[in-house]
This record gives sequence, structure tokens and C-alpha cells, in this order.
Amino acid sequence: MRVLLAACLFAASASAHHSMAGFDRNKTVTLTGTVKQFKWANPHSWIEMEVTNDKGSMDVWNIEMTSPAVLIRAGWKSSSVKPGDKVTMMAHPLVTGEPGGIFVSVTIPSGQTLTDRPIQPAAATPPPRP
Amino acid sequence: MRTGFLLAGLAMASLAAAQTAAPELPPSALAPANLAKTRPKPPFDLTGTWQHGGGPNNPFQFSPPPGAKLTPAAQVHYDAARKARAEGKAYHDDIGQCWPAGLPLIMTRVWPIAMIQIPTAIYMISGFMNSVRTIFLDGRQHTDPDLVVRSFNGESIGHWEGDTLVVDTRNFVEDHHWLDNGIPLTDAARIIERMRLIDKGAALEIEYTAIDPKSWEGEWKWTKRWRRVNDQDITEASCLPDLNEHMPSTKPSQNVR
Repeated sequence: MRVLLAACLFAASASAHHSMAGFDRNKTVTLTGTVKQFKWANPHSWIEMEVTNDKGSMDVWNIEMTSPAVLIRAGWKSSSVKPGDKVTMMAHPLVTGEPGGIFVSVTIPSGQTLTDRPIQPAAATPPPRP
Repeated sequence: MRTGFLLAGLAMASLAAAQTAAPELPPSALAPANLAKTRPKPPFDLTGTWQHGGGPNNPFQFSPPPGAKLTPAAQVHYDAARKARAEGKAYHDDIGQCWPAGLPLIMTRVWPIAMIQIPTAIYMISGFMNSVRTIFLDGRQHTDPDLVVRSFNGESIGHWEGDTLVVDTRNFVEDHHWLDNGIPLTDAARIIERMRLIDKGAALEIEYTAIDPKSWEGEWKWTKRWRRVNDQDITEASCLPDLNEHMPSTKPSQNVR
């Protein structure tokens, strides 16, 4: 099974144009799979990735992200993640159990782990919130 | 042929006589003559980019104060929203379905707001869906309710009281507009903002007072703070079907409507 439930290791982080009620902030899943699409856009970026489920078939997970303006301050570029990349993603999943979640972090093929937290001291940029 | 022209002329004259006179409209905030009027120097200039600060003492929500009493109509929504939340679902998440956030929520989104102040108005453009809000400072009155085009940000008119800008906003839309989860804002809503600069101009503080007799009793108050951000600009942002296809939280299965 490529989807692992982990303890809530990360503080909830998201900025959204919609309600966050559907995400389980007390749960973090680790997804290992292949990036299908990465959209670098306002007001939200998103990653679509293919993940093999415990029955051996493929699920497509949509992972909501914050805005590029926030991601840039966290060290992201539009080329940070590309279709076909094998990545390990951490996300807060949907409460309903459907494949989908809100972004926490991703480890890309270079081994670098990217989050949506600013690299500069927190005082320079407010923490994202729902 | 000549008779036809004569009849047409009579008909037009009759129609013109039946029409009422067009209302006199105030000059545009950008009209040179309006801009050129002599006015006292304002105590501050909000021109710049501002970001709601967030944090535990400065939440983005406009939650009901302790002891708040909702009207029966609003209570139905509030209870339904609480039930949906308990099931891990959103309730009437209209913003997620691309309806405008509207005042006051548009002021506390995580995206910055560009503010441009001129003698007759302050223009606020949010990085969130590029929502435009205008606060008129040229002494005009609120528009006749029979003429006004209601909106999510409402019609804002400001005046100066000492070092404070007092903004009175009315004429909101009647639906798809929410103060907080499960608390509808209606066309009876009115929001007063008292704006002042603090921290030597680096921060903006706004005291909110909101009434909406169709949704709750009495006045609700909050105080929020923004900080000036000099390394951010507003960029184009749209709520698109393509976006929502990839936002799991906006799917019908995640929403109670």
C-alpha cells in the first residue's frame, strides 16, 4: 500500500478560496506516485498524481495548494515539479476517504523536500491559513 | 408616405412626454472637476499593498460574538452548517463555487490587497479574484435603493473623523453572501468600519461594526489588523471551472447546499 497514514506531524497549512471543512487536519497521508499534472496558477496551484492503491489499481489524487506568490517564498518555481516525476507527497486527506487532500509537503526526484512555508523568517510573511 | 412620417413623429413625441426625467448622478470619482475640488488634507494615505496579519488575536473569521442571537431564518442555516461541519463537509461554500467573498470577508483573505487613495476615493483591489472595492470620499450620499445595483462588496462611503476614516457600507446583495460559516448576510446588512493607521503607518487597524436585522439581533463588533507589504503586487486571479475540477473540497460530495 503506497498510502500511509501518519501522525499529524505538520501544522495545518493552507490558503484557500473555499471551505477547509472537508479536510482532516488531524491526519496526514504519505503518497508515493507519479505526477500527472502540476498547475502553477492563481489563486491556487495544484498537483494531480497517480497513486497505486492497496488493491493494485491506480487512484488519481488531486492535491490543493496555495498561491504561487506564497510558494515562491517557500522556494518553489513553476518547474519544481513536472509530469512524470516520481514523488512522495504528504497531505491532509479528505474526511470522506475519496482520493484528494490539501498539500503539506513533497519530496521531488532530486531529494529536495518542498513545503509551502516561507524560507525566510516567519516574521517576514504571515503563516498561510485556511 | 408623408402620413406615415407624421404618425411616427407623433408617437415619439408622446413617448418622450411619458418618460420621467433621468436622475441627476454625482460626478465620477475620477472626474477632473471632482478631483480638483479643494478638500482638507487627509490624515493618512492608504496607498500601498496590505496583507491581513492573521494570528490568534487577529483571525480572518468574523465569528458571532459570545451570546449572539440569530434570527430564526439565520438559525436554520447556522444549525445546518454545524451539522455539515461535524460530517466533514462544507455548508453553502459559495466562495468555493466562485461567488464573490464580499465584504467583510474579502478584507481578510490570505491574498494581499492593493489600495490606491486619491482625494475622492480609495480603490481596493484584492489579490483574491481581483475583487474591486471603492470607498467614495467625495461627499456623495448612498445611492437611492431604487437605483443602486446591489453588490457583494456593497456601496462604501467614507468620511474623516480626526485621525480615523469612518466607512459606511450598505446596499449588499440578498443571497450567496456569508459573514461566517452558516451566517447569511442579507440586503439589510450594514457595516461600519473605523480605519486608522498604527505602528507608525506600518499597520492598518479596522474596527468593524455589523448589523443585519434579517440575520441577527443588535451590533456585532470585531477589530482586525493588516500590515503593509512592500514586496508584493496584485496579479490576475480568476475562479475557473478548470481550477475547481482539481480542488477536491469544491466537489458536490464535499458540500451541503
